[in-house]
Amino acid sequence: MTNPQYGEIYKQVIRLLEEYAPRPVPISEETELVNDLGFDSLRVMEMLHDVEDTFDISYPLNSLPELRTVKDFTLKIQEIIETT
Amino acid sequence: MGLLDKLNTIAETRKTLLPDGVDPFNVVIDEIYSPTEASINGQRVLLAGTNNYLGLTFDPQCIQAARSSLEKDGTGTTGSRMANGTFAGHRDLERDLASFYDCSDAIVFSTGFVANLGVISTLAGPGDVIVLDADSHASIYDACKMSGAEMIRFRHNSVDDLEKKLKRLGAKAEKTLIIAEGIYSMLGDCAPLAEIAALKRKYGAWLLVDEAHSMGVMGDTGRGMAEAVGVEQDVDFIIGTFSKSLGSIGGYCVSNHAELDLVRYVCRSYVFTASPSPSTTASVRQALQVIQAKPELRTRLWNNASLLYGGLKDLGFELGPDLSPVVAIRMPSREMTLLAWNALLDKGIYVNLVFPPAAPAGMSLLRCSVSAAHTSDQINYLLQSFAEIKQ
Repeated sequence: MTNPQYGEIYKQVIRLLEEYAPRPVPISEETELVNDLGFDSLRVMEMLHDVEDTFDISYPLNSLPELRTVKDFTLKIQEIIETT
Repeated sequence: MGLLDKLNTIAETRKTLLPDGVDPFNVVIDEIYSPTEASINGQRVLLAGTNNYLGLTFDPQCIQAARSSLEKDGTGTTGSRMANGTFAGHRDLERDLASFYDCSDAIVFSTGFVANLGVISTLAGPGDVIVLDADSHASIYDACKMSGAEMIRFRHNSVDDLEKKLKRLGAKAEKTLIIAEGIYSMLGDCAPLAEIAALKRKYGAWLLVDEAHSMGVMGDTGRGMAEAVGVEQDVDFIIGTFSKSLGSIGGYCVSNHAELDLVRYVCRSYVFTASPSPSTTASVRQALQVIQAKPELRTRLWNNASLLYGGLKDLGFELGPDLSPVVAIRMPSREMTLLAWNALLDKGIYVNLVFPPAAPAGMSLLRCSVSAAHTSDQINYLLQSFAEIKQ
């Protein structure tokens, strides 16, 4: 846990990933969005609308290419929440 | 993994989806007879997927203007305007466009794609924000990436989502460029531009509208969606293309901001690409005259659009949400789309086949575009053929 908010964000992220992931595999922090969960750009875009509504944030598309793992994704959301 | 290995997945997808010898994405038009008829594989076909909204590709005056310029000024400019100089035709076309839009400035580009690419990536930069509609054209997405600005999407045509995004930006809204299109190219649906313009005013942002599919189609004088809904004063930059209603190739940007002229000096897709050929600028100048002199073309276009849209709806097809000259039929699967596309071609009808990601939200589409040049017999034949393939 790198931040008090992290755990709560992580739980919500897991819920969203389970809903949108093309491959239903067990999810951990090190699970990779593309290689493990089978996300492609279209599916990520579909999920992002829900991510934005869930956390009341605007997720910049520029940062998507940097994402690899579930932990990266959660930390990015946390960063956006803290800087919004 | 080798450099080209990533293309293997494309090869596999192509093999699965496209039977040998039939590729809807590489159709060869052997001969073109008119804005609405051509020969494909030796068969005479009715063209219903050309974006030739006003049918001006064969307009005698446009052809004559292009021919005269070709003979007088040659086949090409062989370079960019910065390096090789601006031809009088470029300057005159920019004046004509500014006058047509009642704007102070216009810049002509070599295609609509590079107009978006160049203007957007020059206007916005690091530290700025672009808020774009989720269904924006690929050229807009690429331009946003190139700009280095923060890219935020709003749900397609959702004014509520756009407002949420603008509200969250706070003071940064004044460094924010909102981007929308007049008519969206795939589903033919219209932007809620009056509401978007109201939000632009409320939050002090900037607004750019791509009128590629609405110029010549919407508005009392054919200037597009901004004219149709009375918000031209709120639109900071209009981007358009010569390759649809104007029947040629090229793109443009018009604006009342004097700074548009400065874009020429730093816009890479203007500085580092060959300028439009003299015959192109000549035919476009003439097409602008035709659009202004013949409003009946728009009336005919909308009558045809209404006939096709209404007829397909009555047949039970699931269509895009708005009546427009882009009539998109949502198909249940890629396989069904391909089957239907082939069946239509067998009947002598060419429409566009669109798979995701070109189509939004994972949809597969048969996309028709209507022209003012279509006759009612041609529209009826389209409807009859669609009725047959539905059975």
